[in-house]
Amino acid sequence: MFKVTFSFEDGSVVEAFANAGDNLLEVARGANVAIDAPCSGNGACGKCRVQLKSGELESKKTLHISDEEYQEGWRLACCSKISADVNVLVPDIASAYKSRMKVADLSSKEEIAIFENAKRDVELAGIELKNSLEVVDVTMDPPSLDDTMPDNERLTRALRKYLNISRVRIPYAVLKKLPDVLRESNFSVKCVIRATSDDMFVYDIFGKDEDVVIGGLAIDIGTTTVSAVLINMENGEILAKSSAGNGQIRFGADVINRIVESQKPGGQQKLQDAVIKETINPMISEMCKSAKFPKNRIYRMCVASNTTMNHLFAGINSDPLRTEPYIPAFFKTNSLFASDVGIDINKDAHIIMAPNIGSYVGGDITAGTLVSQIWNRPEFSLFIDLGTNGELVFGNSDFMMSCACSAGPAFEGGDISCGMRATDGAIEACTIDKETMEPTYKIVGDPGTKPVGLCGSGIIDVISELYICGIINPKGKFIREGKRIKHDKYGMGSYVLAFEEEAGSVKDVEITEVDIDNFIRAKGAIFSAIRTMLTSLDFDVSMIDDVYVAGGIGSGINMQNAVNIGMFPDIPIEKFHYIGNSSLTGAYLMLLSTPAEKKTYELASNMTYMELSTVPIYMDEFVGACFIPHTDTGMFPTVMEEIQNR
Amino acid sequence: MPFNQKLQKFNAKINTVTIGSGDKTVTIGGDSTYPFYSFDAPSENAPKIGVEISDMGLENIVSEGIKAYYDGASTIGEMAKKAAAMEGADFVALILEGGDPNGVNKSVDELIAVVKEVADAIDAPLVVEGCKNVEKDAELLPKVAEALQGRNVLILSEKEENYKAIGAAAGLAYDQIVGAESAVDINLAKQLNVVTTQLGVNAQKIVMNIGSAAAGYGYEYVVSTMDRIKGAALSQNDNMLQMPIITPVSAETWGVKEATASEKDMPEWGPEEERGIDMEVMTAAADLAAGSDAVILRHPEAVAAISRMIKALA
Repeated sequence: MFKVTFSFEDGSVVEAFANAGDNLLEVARGANVAIDAPCSGNGACGKCRVQLKSGELESKKTLHISDEEYQEGWRLACCSKISADVNVLVPDIASAYKSRMKVADLSSKEEIAIFENAKRDVELAGIELKNSLEVVDVTMDPPSLDDTMPDNERLTRALRKYLNISRVRIPYAVLKKLPDVLRESNFSVKCVIRATSDDMFVYDIFGKDEDVVIGGLAIDIGTTTVSAVLINMENGEILAKSSAGNGQIRFGADVINRIVESQKPGGQQKLQDAVIKETINPMISEMCKSAKFPKNRIYRMCVASNTTMNHLFAGINSDPLRTEPYIPAFFKTNSLFASDVGIDINKDAHIIMAPNIGSYVGGDITAGTLVSQIWNRPEFSLFIDLGTNGELVFGNSDFMMSCACSAGPAFEGGDISCGMRATDGAIEACTIDKETMEPTYKIVGDPGTKPVGLCGSGIIDVISELYICGIINPKGKFIREGKRIKHDKYGMGSYVLAFEEEAGSVKDVEITEVDIDNFIRAKGAIFSAIRTMLTSLDFDVSMIDDVYVAGGIGSGINMQNAVNIGMFPDIPIEKFHYIGNSSLTGAYLMLLSTPAEKKTYELASNMTYMELSTVPIYMDEFVGACFIPHTDTGMFPTVMEEIQNR
Repeated sequence: MPFNQKLQKFNAKINTVTIGSGDKTVTIGGDSTYPFYSFDAPSENAPKIGVEISDMGLENIVSEGIKAYYDGASTIGEMAKKAAAMEGADFVALILEGGDPNGVNKSVDELIAVVKEVADAIDAPLVVEGCKNVEKDAELLPKVAEALQGRNVLILSEKEENYKAIGAAAGLAYDQIVGAESAVDINLAKQLNVVTTQLGVNAQKIVMNIGSAAAGYGYEYVVSTMDRIKGAALSQNDNMLQMPIITPVSAETWGVKEATASEKDMPEWGPEEERGIDMEVMTAAADLAAGSDAVILRHPEAVAAISRMIKALA
């Protein structure tokens, strides 16, 4: 047995023990040390770099580590085996994805406005904001020697009388506290109930003086990021908000790798634990702490997520999603309760799932479609969710088509050497001077925060600027030289945004030709999906009236730059609207309003799913779109004009 | 009602590119019709045929007919003369296959000597093909372009991976013709033309090799790609796809089992010599019908057959 010490830049350490020959990345995973390994640890991505401080490691040399870096002790965790006691430094960039859970206070007006607008819009569409949970006051006659009815029957009768419902169910949790609560409050109580036309379920019981707020939890489980809001179910007020990296990331960056990992012995449990125990439950604790809200007063939860994520969340075998004919275990289900999956809220709480449409278009999209309101207008709109999978919905009040394309994790900073999520230290916007090639950027975090990496919106800006300034060619290769342009020994070019000494990291913050290439493929996937779907309907991009962009790419996304790089079609910029994390907003609406939940099921059953891989022109469109802005520049007249003017 | 022919007219045409210098030159492209649609408009320049010889001499040649044709030629220069004199030949193509690092790995100097010997022996227009290894070609082909200054040769091939080195040397520094090779995809072909012209290379000095296959080996992709390139060039006036197309045929067809399996192993297939010629003729005929403006062949009988086809149709 050898001792493995993981040190962090903030000075903290984690110790673990391992046998000779154990893989360092596996040891780190076992010790809950988060090291980003989007490629699942097969040495392909080069992101799991750690620095050897003392001791020894048996490490294979790889292309990702230069000779100089090797001398300085840099190793890839996935290519290193334990051979002695060892101390390694885990740099911030390697653990950045875990991104220190963020609990937002509600000072941000924009954040609140998104939910408020969504509420207003659905109400305008005629959907009532009400749900079946309520608090009722019940007063009973106290028992006596003449009236010897047991407590539970006494409560049942009183409730029956109150709401004229024949069937009342009292779960064990309520039964257990019933005698005490009734007597303490002299048989005058408040009950949290769910009432439908012929059935009532009693979630909780309190003395009549208790101030009871019914809590609800809406959550968006993304492949890369999880975000949630804790709300007051009566009026929709947001009590707390939180976001965190999905703990499953260490098992692979995309859904396919996760499914593969879940098929290993004990894998399904590991992945479920990673998202529930390591990600969602700590988020609930933090939110409840910040809002001073008791966890067990959260009586309902709504999950919006892609099909793979909701299967893994529910602990249901997801392998059939991956293999032909790609059949999920469910599109919609009512069978899930908090206690089934170990979510740390009231254990009788019902979990609503936003419905899936197919293996690759899931509840996140149906929830987002609800929010986008494209179903409520005669004009044609396009809804785009930029995530690890890009999903599109196109249509109007008469029809809706949806499709999914694999964009990869690039929009959330994955697959990019200095990529990161939009957390502290991420460059989220950038401009470059054409003459000097010097960058000016905006960084997420408090003033004075040093740049650590690039998030999705920052990458779009950098690539757009590099292209417009003639620093890269349409293939993403560097064609100018200067102080900020570097070439490694294999000739691969890169552009340095911040040199090591100006950066808050252990190395230069830069974007390489490989990063640009990865991003070009991601944007190419989105653009070609748009074109393919429209072409198959015999539509042209000029027929799009509005484009709604959603996703965790960052609210700062510069639509003009996204058009410049050919990610979105060249249509007037005022047609684009950023609607934030529509999956979360949709989950919020479904949670708050039972009619909205029903509407979402209806939308899901009315959407036509188009499988792009069976459309012959898709591949052609994709190759054509893997060029900045596009092989057919005629589709991007304003971009060509911009280049002339700069 | 009498038949009234409607002509398909395009307001665009394929670029005209002339290879070679002095009295002996060959011109390809220039048409504004689909291949052999002479009923729409007469062809400006009929398709051309190149005869391929290798720096490896006859070492890798299996065909008895090809060996017999070059019988008596003891040097590469003499082989080049015979190739230039072949009935139906319009130009000579020299492939430097010996340069492949995974093969014989001849040095750049050795190969340049071969190139010079061939160039000195003939005055016919010359096409030089690299060894197909992108790194080696990036080193070798700029030297070839330098050595043949003034001869206006076509340098095959510049690819996406090495376009800067080869495009700059052949197209800019030494004023040769750049052969841009892509992998059977209309978008990739166009993208390479875009980045090459952005280097400063004149679009009128680019010839495309859009990639090829032997008939029966995924060949329908080749046909579809050529067909769509011609369509975009003519009907959409896409000037990044109006370069003429040259297709090296022999290197593909003489390697497939239809050409290499012996008659002893495959008696029901008949004599291998005949099969090899058939593969070359079939593939070249299809390339020309789909849109190639020039093909590169090896066997004298294949050259003769394709030459007859062009005369009959063009």
